Amino acid sequence: MRKNIYYSLLLSALVTVSVAEETRQVDKHEHGVGELNIAVEGNSIDLEFMIPGADIVGFEYKAKSEADVALVNDALIKFDEFNNIFSIPSASNCNLVEADISINQGENHKDEHDDHDEHDDHNEHDDHDEHDDHDEHDDHDEHEDEHDHDDHGEHDDHDEHDEEAHNEFVAHYSFNCGNIKEIDRISFPYFTTFPNSGELEVQFVSEIGSTSFEVEGDEPFIDLKGKI
Amino acid sequence: MLLKLSFSSLYARLVTVGMTILAISVSLMLYMSVEKLRTSAYTSFTDTISQTDLIVGARASSVQLLLYSVFRIGNATNNITWESYLDLVSKEEVDWTVPISLGDSHKGFRVMGTNKEFFSRYKYRGSQSVSIDKGYLFEDLYDVVLGAGVAEKLGYKIGTSLVVSHGLQSFSDHDDQPFRVSGILKKTGTPVDNTVIVSLAAIEAIHVDWSTGAKIPGQLTPIDEIREMDLTPKNITAALVGVKSKLTIFQLQRWINEYPEEAMTAILPGAALQELWRVVGVIENLLLGISVVVIFTTLVGMAAIMFSSLSERRREMAIWRAMGASPFTVIGLLMLEAIFISILSITFSVVLLFCVLNLLQPWIDYNYGILVNIEMLAIKDMYVFAVFIIASIAVSLLPAIRAYWFSINDGMTIKL
Repeated sequence: MRKNIYYSLLLSALVTVSVAEETRQVDKHEHGVGELNIAVEGNSIDLEFMIPGADIVGFEYKAKSEADVALVNDALIKFDEFNNIFSIPSASNCNLVEADISINQGENHKDEHDDHDEHDDHNEHDDHDEHDDHDEHDDHDEHEDEHDHDDHGEHDDHDEHDEEAHNEFVAHYSFNCGNIKEIDRISFPYFTTFPNSGELEVQFVSEIGSTSFEVEGDEPFIDLKGKI
Repeated sequence: MLLKLSFSSLYARLVTVGMTILAISVSLMLYMSVEKLRTSAYTSFTDTISQTDLIVGARASSVQLLLYSVFRIGNATNNITWESYLDLVSKEEVDWTVPISLGDSHKGFRVMGTNKEFFSRYKYRGSQSVSIDKGYLFEDLYDVVLGAGVAEKLGYKIGTSLVVSHGLQSFSDHDDQPFRVSGILKKTGTPVDNTVIVSLAAIEAIHVDWSTGAKIPGQLTPIDEIREMDLTPKNITAALVGVKSKLTIFQLQRWINEYPEEAMTAILPGAALQELWRVVGVIENLLLGISVVVIFTTLVGMAAIMFSSLSERRREMAIWRAMGASPFTVIGLLMLEAIFISILSITFSVVLLFCVLNLLQPWIDYNYGILVNIEMLAIKDMYVFAVFIIASIAVSLLPAIRAYWFSINDGMTIKL
């Protein structure tokens, strides 16, 4: 009897170890909050947007229906023309060198969401972010509703993942500027281009140092005087 | 003529007018000193760390990481392992890194373990670096370098021996391994002033006989033996990172934040500072709002005093009218008076401000580490003064109009 207890203890220890070896981390994801990173060095300025799908197209599952795919494609086309997203003072004489626009449909998150039950079992885990994220999923009833309409009764595991996947628009623009010091402000038509958009959390870095901004639609610009 | 008249009238009521001027000056000074403290606190905050591109620590909010790693406020959520640190060091984007280890203290001052590179890489106020005032940086395992504030407040000199306490508020000392002061740093005006700096190996050494936060009873490894040991740290609290190109900062930041083996956070110090300031800014605005209200109150007070003096001065005004002054001249006189009072108040408040700042500057610096820069008035202050003068004219308009009515009704005969 006693032995059995030891065995089971040993077994459970082994199981815990094997579980602990997996790394389970999920990036934070917040509706209504897009991220923007701006880096300036020499004559180059790089802008990198990471915007949750909800802010752009109003949904975050993988686009399957024709209407959804059309919405996504339309959004991607808007991103292609950077003037729809932001504008840099023309006096700075900046030319687009490279642009890379993509939508991250969240395939790489799939694995993390496979072990649903596991999350619930391990409440003692420190990975609070993960749990927070999780709660967020539950809040999004409207997505589930939408989903129900689209593919009725087809609720196998896979669909669920897509729903959880939280797609994200990623747009990266690199500029080369003739007179980079002339950039004293960057404004964001982004907010009018995508009416669903919330705020933008901006991290900015140049040789002078780093700073951050919170930009919202009512004041859609950042003031960069003396920061480049 | 009008000027002279108004001035002599004011002079005749020296005490009342003097008190009014004093009240206004004090409230103006209050406003200006709040404003000065606000800007000084901001600059001394933002000047604390420069030229460090990223700060890396265990997963935490960016403000928390910034506070404990740079300002030594609060505690680390976790440490990061040396392996993860080495992984970070080997990234090609990384130009330099400085590991720091916190957690112990000496008489209320934080002890920080780091390497010598800290002294050349840590920059503040643009590009100033920490430099040694007396002695030398640590050469021996048990050498310690003191910030200027620590040396001053504890009265330590080169060669003083000291014992590091375990944790921040504990009674257990690492008394088996005393340190010796090898160097004292120049004053920087940053939290470095209040830090006791030792080598990373020393942090490791004093914890040789410790396990999970307590001394292992009866175990005391001789110092000679410790010196022979491999004292590579097993973990560190945070690391300062410089990158080769600013354009790769965010790439590196993402790599760190998504590092699969360990939950870490990388922050841009300036961005985190700004984030913190957005929170503090609310309180700032509150303070500013209060001092604006105080100014407004004194303006109303000025009007009240003018009102109450009006009835006393009805005879005076009757004489003015008798001398041929029109009712408008009476209005003009009262407004001139208000301008006089406000200009005098402004001058007096500036004098008062500089006295107070000069008096309090060393105390604020000593206790809060904020260097209030006493400089000439900025253009912004001039705007404030201009607005204040205009406001005082506007406020004086009410008693002036009343005086106008008095002078019309009373004429030269007063029925008191």
